[in-house]
Amino acid sequence: MELHRALALLCAAPLVLLSIPASALIAEKELAEVKAELAATQQTLATTLDTLAKVERRLDQLESGATAPAPVPSGPRIPPVNVDNPAISFVIDTALETDTHGSGWDFALRSGELFISAPIDPFLRGYASLAGSSEEGFDIEEAALITTSLPWNLTVKGGRFFADVGRFPHWHGEQLPFVDRPPSIERLIPGESRAEGAELTWLAPIEHYFRVTAGIYDSIGARDELPPEYGSAGDRAFDQLTWLVHPSTYFDLTDTLNVELGGTFFTVAKHGARYLYGVDATLRHQPGTSSFYQGFVLGSEWLWNDEKFHNVDDAGEIIPGRQRFNHNGGYAYLESFFGREYSVGARFDYAEEPIDPIDRQRTYSAFATWFPSEFQRLRFQFDQIDPVHGQNDQRFTLQWTAFLGSHSHGFSTR
Amino acid sequence: MAFRPVEIASAALVALLLTLSADAAEAALRVVASMPDVADMTRQIGGERVSVETIALGSQDPHKVPVKPSFVTKLNRADVLVVQGLGLEHAFLPALLEVASNPKILPTGAAYIDASIYIQPLEVPTSQNRSQGELHPLGNPHFNLDPVQGKLMARAIAEGLARVDPAGASRYQAGLDRYTALLDGKIAEWEKLAAPLRGVKAVSYHQDLVYLAKRFGIEMVGTLETKPGVPATPGHLEELVDTMKREQVKLVIREVAYELPLAQTVAQRTGARVATISTLAGGLPGTQTYVDSIEANLEALLQAVQEGSAS
Repeated sequence: MELHRALALLCAAPLVLLSIPASALIAEKELAEVKAELAATQQTLATTLDTLAKVERRLDQLESGATAPAPVPSGPRIPPVNVDNPAISFVIDTALETDTHGSGWDFALRSGELFISAPIDPFLRGYASLAGSSEEGFDIEEAALITTSLPWNLTVKGGRFFADVGRFPHWHGEQLPFVDRPPSIERLIPGESRAEGAELTWLAPIEHYFRVTAGIYDSIGARDELPPEYGSAGDRAFDQLTWLVHPSTYFDLTDTLNVELGGTFFTVAKHGARYLYGVDATLRHQPGTSSFYQGFVLGSEWLWNDEKFHNVDDAGEIIPGRQRFNHNGGYAYLESFFGREYSVGARFDYAEEPIDPIDRQRTYSAFATWFPSEFQRLRFQFDQIDPVHGQNDQRFTLQWTAFLGSHSHGFSTR
Repeated sequence: MAFRPVEIASAALVALLLTLSADAAEAALRVVASMPDVADMTRQIGGERVSVETIALGSQDPHKVPVKPSFVTKLNRADVLVVQGLGLEHAFLPALLEVASNPKILPTGAAYIDASIYIQPLEVPTSQNRSQGELHPLGNPHFNLDPVQGKLMARAIAEGLARVDPAGASRYQAGLDRYTALLDGKIAEWEKLAAPLRGVKAVSYHQDLVYLAKRFGIEMVGTLETKPGVPATPGHLEELVDTMKREQVKLVIREVAYELPLAQTVAQRTGARVATISTLAGGLPGTQTYVDSIEANLEALLQAVQEGSAS
């Protein structure tokens, strides 16, 4: 049996060997046929695709009216209802802060701010800002009405709002390019430039930008502990009101480089209780692109405060006094923007306390900001604080800010 | 040399006539256009009857146009405001109008001309969820990149000008007819010119090419931005590179307002070519008109595609 199997294999082997070339020939023939079939199919497919493309183009043309004498749409598209009426947003501004004086670590909700704005009627719009923080309760920061259709380029604003003082005094904290308000501003105009009163703004009807605001208020800034002619609390006589004027102008140096100049003067008339003079200048390079380099802002502001201030009695209570104090302060900063997401900057600030002749302070700051998106921001700031009389301090702050809901940049905080 | 009274009077009369003619020239409808494309269309349609100033530069990212006080004075003195619309100007125009003291050019005013009113918007979001990026609630506003939509923009502008200035209605209609004929001729040329783009797969920097892609048959596969308006993250770029390799994407379209190095890096990693185009007229050299801008964009795309095929 084994022998028969061996003989059969021996006989079959030549047959198998002879059959290989024949199989190869058959396979080659089939391959050629398949290739031809593939080429024919590809040709058919190409023709079909071409026809399809032509039909698509024709369809598009018919839909869009490319060859028709008149556009297809018979009437304008009706826009949907304005989803931003009213525009509502909420800002969460939180921070972690520490310093080398050993005051520890401080997590803080610096501000939670609800902002609502809307047109009221064809003549008026309004906005309100309600803010709270770890240190203070929820409060109405601003609630103001603004006219929209007065003649002669006039605008009237009334209610509670941040008076149009200088550049940064009327910015909300989270809108600033730093984690803190410049100490010089905070000392001379504490609590932003919060005021209750009315403002009249006039835009000159000429090619060149010139705008002036005149205002009258109970007071400017939060100085609750002082008598009415100095502070922000209580009823007051007409001459204890605060009067303000703020002209500003602007020059385009090139298409992308410009400078803006402003001046501020406000006073409390009674006995010349207070005169505050301010100047601000801002140089901006704004290419408006989203390339890596996206411009810079160089800004400075200086305030001179001339105030017939108070004395302090033996019990430490503030009493009206006759002595005039001339105290100044200001800052200068540079911020550069890179790669849509980053900015870095430095600031120098010189601050004097309006009531204390020896309390002067220099602050050197460096800050870096990362914008993961338009609606979120992380900022780190280092401050070297050098009081003229006192111990130096170093402060580190990490700020995390996010914007919920409607978010747009207003003209005043550009 | 002494002048006689008659000579002095003649000179004064000539000066007066010159002044009056200058006044007449200045009496042209004072138009402020938000974007270069609608500015050019307004000029083409209105001719000498309009004087047009533009806010945004062609090289700028429409979402980053600075809010400059000099724009406020332009808007304050404007007889007409022409916008591209669909919210493209949201980053700067509301802030400018807030202080321009010119109620007639507010969106509710008679002299506010919205060039998008005949556009059927694409990519209208079904919800305003910011986790999906900075979406335009009314739809993608970059319809000007499709010249057929350009015709509809021109129609809206001509009708708006006639509404504000009825005395010039026939002039604006004639201007529209001429401009539409020009665009029709160009569109036929561009359709043929752009034939090699049909079926080409591409990625762009921002999600702004949907109308252009639909018109010329380009298949958009993704964007360098993570989401509209949200910068690229490393993770997103890795995914994009993988997708481009898998889908054999050989074209990276970089809009001129956006950074080039990132587009180049992605192109190098995928063996793709970079084509630089502009979403606004004037963004590329020698493209001050809308027609020139469309043409330059197509040429840039074709050049990149042809170079990719040759390599």
